[in-house]
Amino acid sequence: MFMKGNVDMDYITKIIGPMLEGAQTTVLLFFICIISSIPLGFLITLMANSKVKPVSWFAHSFVYVMRGTPLLLQMLFFCYGLPVLPVVGEYLIMDRFLAAGLAFVLNYAAYFAEIFRGGLLAVDGGQYEAAKVLGLSKFQTMTRVIIPQMFRVVIPSVSNESITLIKDTALLYAVSVPDLLHYALTAVNRDFSIAPFFVAAVIYLLMTLVLTILFKWLEKKFKFQ
Amino acid sequence: MTLIDVNNLQKSFGKLEVLKGISFEVQPSEVIAIIGPSGSGKSTMLRSLVHLEQVNWGTIRIGEQDLVKDGKYSSNEIIKSITSRMGMVFQHFNLFPHLTVLGNLELAPRMLKRASQEEIQAQAISMLGKVGLSDKRDVYPSNLSGGQKQRVAIARALMLNPEILLFDEPTSALDPELTGEVLQVMKQLAVENMTMLIVTHEMGFAREVADRILFMADGEIIEAGTPEQIFNTPQHQRTKTFLNRLL
Repeated sequence: MFMKGNVDMDYITKIIGPMLEGAQTTVLLFFICIISSIPLGFLITLMANSKVKPVSWFAHSFVYVMRGTPLLLQMLFFCYGLPVLPVVGEYLIMDRFLAAGLAFVLNYAAYFAEIFRGGLLAVDGGQYEAAKVLGLSKFQTMTRVIIPQMFRVVIPSVSNESITLIKDTALLYAVSVPDLLHYALTAVNRDFSIAPFFVAAVIYLLMTLVLTILFKWLEKKFKFQ
Repeated sequence: MTLIDVNNLQKSFGKLEVLKGISFEVQPSEVIAIIGPSGSGKSTMLRSLVHLEQVNWGTIRIGEQDLVKDGKYSSNEIIKSITSRMGMVFQHFNLFPHLTVLGNLELAPRMLKRASQEEIQAQAISMLGKVGLSDKRDVYPSNLSGGQKQRVAIARALMLNPEILLFDEPTSALDPELTGEVLQVMKQLAVENMTMLIVTHEMGFAREVADRILFMADGEIIEAGTPEQIFNTPQHQRTKTFLNRLL
């Protein structure tokens, strides 16, 4: 094994099955979180920019709370906190994966909201004026002029955030949802081998590699040149 | 028939009075150059005509329609119908960087469903020919020179067949050697009887192309007249000082 300087391929073949199974949970959480938190984050951005004060106040408070407290705390809150609430607690017992997923979605939505808000600020005010003078409605201005330009600006930050998300999924370990890291640690303890950690690291790296390539491609595609 | 009738326009930004009772009229096909020192309210006045600025008091009448009457704005529908009769060209072009030149021209007519896709494209191609940029149709704005960008911006404004074109310092952001190509396009529009209001620092151009000059300073129209009158025999001391500083 690693200790002896050569890798025991048979052992790795044996552990890779369950670890890939754990990786499925990781990937599932990643997709659920990305697919839900990006639209939700954009909605929060629009709310934060709203002229209706309570709406904007709510959005800013949401971002402040979700960004200002640890994701781990939020996960534990949804998994173990809500059920101990008096009276309503018993109706708030969720599947742990679902509860953790909810925490992830809300937490990442707050970060995406701030990224999108920055992206909107980066779009020149003259773009709104040009669209208005050309007779575009507010909705057309947003969807046809502003959002495509915002998109280009936010790609690097969204890329950054989604790579962080891949790694943050390992927090599932704390609420005993069997993910990639869980299987790795189980194998380490059971077989007294460090190899599972390396295998896990390689799987994480492969996932982030896919994301890196995807976002580089998007960046190129939206260069507008 | 008067095409633009502006009466006693007043506008303040906080305590700062930017327009102190502006009044003038524009006849169809007239080319008006608006000159004056910076901070005199020229741009604000022009922008209020297309409702990019809201005035505090006064009347703006375009043809038979009131954009604002004695400080009271018409309904959004009427405002939209009035502003759709005008096109605007900005100092910093404000082209859409995520669309090609053709995309910039086609976006608004497509969104407003002015004609079929084919007709819109045909019109866009002919507009590009008119401003001498037929070979740039598939290029993104970032790959154009300033003069080319401004010509695209003019073509884009023309796509909606406006009765009136407003220019807010169209050549101020350009390198001196690139102003000529833009002014050439504007001259051509004047020949074609387009009604134009041009805020400009190009005195030579104003003198040559404008039918009338408005000289503004401190939120007021100090003097108005033909280029001959303004440049050769200015009546007001402020006009003389301004022109002397330039010449």
